[in-house]
Amino acid sequence: MDLDAYRIASEPYYRGIGAEVGQFGAAYAARLPVMLKGPTGCGKTRFIEHMAWKLGRPLVTVSCHEDMTASDLVGRLLLDPSGTVWSDGPLTLAVRYGAICYLDEIVEARQDTTVVIHALTDDRRVLPLEKKGELVQAHPDFQLVISYNPGYQSVLKDLKESTKQRFCALDFGYPDPSVETEIVASEAGIDLPLAHQLVQIARRSRNLRGQGLNEGASTRMLIHAGALIREGLALPEACQLALILPITDDPDMRDALANAVAACA
Amino acid sequence: MPEHVRAAFPGEWLAPWLRALRKIEGAGYGAPLEAAFRTAGPSCAEIVGPEPAIDMADFLSAVTIKAGRRAGEALCAAAPAVARRFGDGPRFRSWLSLMQRFAAMAPESVLPVIERLESLLQRVNLSGLEAWLLAGVRIAGADRERRAAFFRMESPDAERLLDREAGETGFFDMERRMKAFMTALHGIHAPLREAPPGRHDGSQRRAGYGDGIIRMPASFPGFRGAQAEALYRASLAHISAHMRHSGARFPVGKLKPLQIAVVSLIEDARVEALAMREMPGLKRLWLPFHIAQSSGAMTAPSLFARLSRALIDPDFEDIDGWVRKGRDMFHAAADRIEDPGISRAIGNLLGNDLGQMRVQFNAKTYAVQPPYRDDNAGLWEPDPDMTPPEDTEAVVVESARIRPSEEDEPDRQREGDQPPDDTQRARSRPAEDPDTGIPVATYPEYDYQAGTERPDWTTVVEYPPQLGDPRFAQDVLERHADLAGRISALVRAARVGRPVRLRRQAEGETLDLDACIDALAGLRAGDMPDPRVYQIMARRSRDLAVAVLLDVSKSTGDAVPGGTVLDLEREAVVLLAEAMGGMGDPFSIAAFSSNGRDELRYHRIKDFGEPPGRRIGAALAGLRPGYSTRLGAALRHAGASLASQPSFRRLILLVTDGEPSDVDCPDPAYLVEDARRAVQRLSAEGIDVFCVGLGARNTEQEARIFGQCGFVQIERIEALTEKLPALYLRLTA
Repeated sequence: MDLDAYRIASEPYYRGIGAEVGQFGAAYAARLPVMLKGPTGCGKTRFIEHMAWKLGRPLVTVSCHEDMTASDLVGRLLLDPSGTVWSDGPLTLAVRYGAICYLDEIVEARQDTTVVIHALTDDRRVLPLEKKGELVQAHPDFQLVISYNPGYQSVLKDLKESTKQRFCALDFGYPDPSVETEIVASEAGIDLPLAHQLVQIARRSRNLRGQGLNEGASTRMLIHAGALIREGLALPEACQLALILPITDDPDMRDALANAVAACA
Repeated sequence: MPEHVRAAFPGEWLAPWLRALRKIEGAGYGAPLEAAFRTAGPSCAEIVGPEPAIDMADFLSAVTIKAGRRAGEALCAAAPAVARRFGDGPRFRSWLSLMQRFAAMAPESVLPVIERLESLLQRVNLSGLEAWLLAGVRIAGADRERRAAFFRMESPDAERLLDREAGETGFFDMERRMKAFMTALHGIHAPLREAPPGRHDGSQRRAGYGDGIIRMPASFPGFRGAQAEALYRASLAHISAHMRHSGARFPVGKLKPLQIAVVSLIEDARVEALAMREMPGLKRLWLPFHIAQSSGAMTAPSLFARLSRALIDPDFEDIDGWVRKGRDMFHAAADRIEDPGISRAIGNLLGNDLGQMRVQFNAKTYAVQPPYRDDNAGLWEPDPDMTPPEDTEAVVVESARIRPSEEDEPDRQREGDQPPDDTQRARSRPAEDPDTGIPVATYPEYDYQAGTERPDWTTVVEYPPQLGDPRFAQDVLERHADLAGRISALVRAARVGRPVRLRRQAEGETLDLDACIDALAGLRAGDMPDPRVYQIMARRSRDLAVAVLLDVSKSTGDAVPGGTVLDLEREAVVLLAEAMGGMGDPFSIAAFSSNGRDELRYHRIKDFGEPPGRRIGAALAGLRPGYSTRLGAALRHAGASLASQPSFRRLILLVTDGEPSDVDCPDPAYLVEDARRAVQRLSAEGIDVFCVGLGARNTEQEARIFGQCGFVQIERIEALTEKLPALYLRLTA
């Protein structure tokens, strides 16, 4: 079985903000597992897509959630008319056929789930399928990548120390205003001065991080706002739709943000 | 009988009126009061009808008995005007009844209030007046002097609370969103405080800043609703521009007041220009307040206002040479606008010009224009002769105020952008001393009579625990060895069998064999099989955080069999801590008492993060009984610490021996209703409150506060040691 469905056909837009492309390339060459850290919407997923395209590997993405069990990752026994059959989970697929497996927001998954990756992320590079009684040796091209948002996790949800220490890490932040302006302009298809205004607005919202907002407006939100403006909405309206209303339900914060938008425009 | 009296009391109303008049005359209040009533009655009757005017006699008697003849005379004198204002019987009668109640609560203040009635009623309606009167009575507690000062409008609270009742948008109604706005603009978070009344009268109030604190007037008279909001917003945007761009304070040196004012004006314009460079929309916020006209008089305030406008408004043309010169110099320095030095240079030159023009300037009456601009005191090095009017305690309260939980765990990644007020916070926090507490937070309190919550009404003062006998806990456990043994057995029993198998699940880790067989049988029979063939092992986890709150008011020093109430509380809590530690539940222990609304004494014995250990015993042993029981504030504070716990179930376990009371609350129902309100609020936040009441008492109040299922009464106090841990395990099973 090949993983053609998981291959990325055309180059995803990615504007490098530092040396991360080269660094990731080195980690892949050594087949080291990588952890991408950073706030939501700053480009972690886009980065890994770009790297998978660049390295020519299929990319299996799993969005982790609270109810995820180990069998959601490795696979499970299913029933068919003659009895039970084994069905590989996404992680097993990637391990067998040599893809990059990207576990998005890994801490959302229950802690007992994440230990299945332990044997894969040290020099053994194996995945034991206990239920099936099989030990899958990882394909030489296989690499495990996880993402991790240090901002909003609570004390309850943190990676185990034994998990953390298996990974190399790349830290992502919001790009510099000039770079972010470029990204927003290119992704939303708007002109640079408008993108600059949006980036200024985002900066105001990021000032409120921890002061009533859990997180400031992400680059992704700016792109959404830009796209709405391109479709004909006015700037304050687009910011209301794409930034303010999604980010908070607190009327005081909404009011403060709306006025900050007005101040920037 | 004069004609107008007959007209006011037509037909059958005349006899009751004469009876009422005779009643007042017969009571011996003196001739002036009788005369006043004789005049007031018919005047009121003409407006609100005869019946309320006749009823007035009873109210008048009641007020006169409580508050004296002069108050009665004043009431009569004020009555016709009040009748005209309300124009109907029911409201006139409500006013009379309010005055009667007020006379019972604060007899000495009836006269001053009635004398000011006209101006009060111009600002508030009847219910606002009632709320204000009640607030005044409450704020002073049992302190008659303070109460009298309040109603003579001599205390700043009186003015502020009246503003609030008047519905003038006071700053502190929108503090939170304004603060957020300011933080958003420049990343500045400084504590906001109410500006002291200061030297200017109402119309000249200005904001100010300095030492990391921003002072805002509670209201800007003349600005209401959206206008007031815009003014506050403009003001905060201006001050935060100063804090961002003005840099270090300017030395005063040999500058004259006139020069200081001009330099400040240029600096105002400079920081605004810098802020607008980043955020052009700020101009829309500021510009509407610049209303100076080119044709104004040649006085300093007028010229200043015109120059201010000329510097921000490119469309404004002024005919005056001085204003034009100022504008041209400012624009010429545009390429060096980041340098605060240009404000000094331009300001000095312009100041000298004004001196030569012999323009009069009175520093005492000068107020910066437009009103959103601050008083510029924060711009200059303080005058050593002037002591700042800070009451440091309030600063401490503000800077140590409990903040949302996300701030309690600062992100290590972003420590770089420290809030600028942090140094301030560190500095103003006094060293820990067991005798002086630290004010840590303020909470609202609910007044059932007014039906409102008064914000920041109570202040929690935390005292570090005084450590007593460090072996106390061990002694208790040894003395109650059998009980401790039984408790640990109970704990073990409560802990076993926690993972449970959940069968017939749609998803799961393993197949549920029974379900599989059923499904296969179904398939063979040609039925649609049930797809739920998995099973999972799930932990039925205890996810519970408990805050134990001990009442250590004076009455807990009472002797009961086995020591004092407090002794038994201590022992019970030691055993309870054993049980809680054994279950692995996060818990905190605190003790409280109160000494008026300004001092809710709170002793933290164990915090959530702290491991259970020997210190708990020592801190418990160090508790001393004293003061009163202001329950609502203690519950709010315990709730605030519990709210940051991530547990699913959160419980406040209160151990108390009496009913809520405090020295400044003569009305026993007041604190009961406040506590009830606090419990309801906590419950809405998902925090349960359970009360363990000690001693044989009437349980009506407990039921009122905590609800029928929210409390348990332990009549034999000596059984507390045994019952409390058992109760805990049962309660949380």
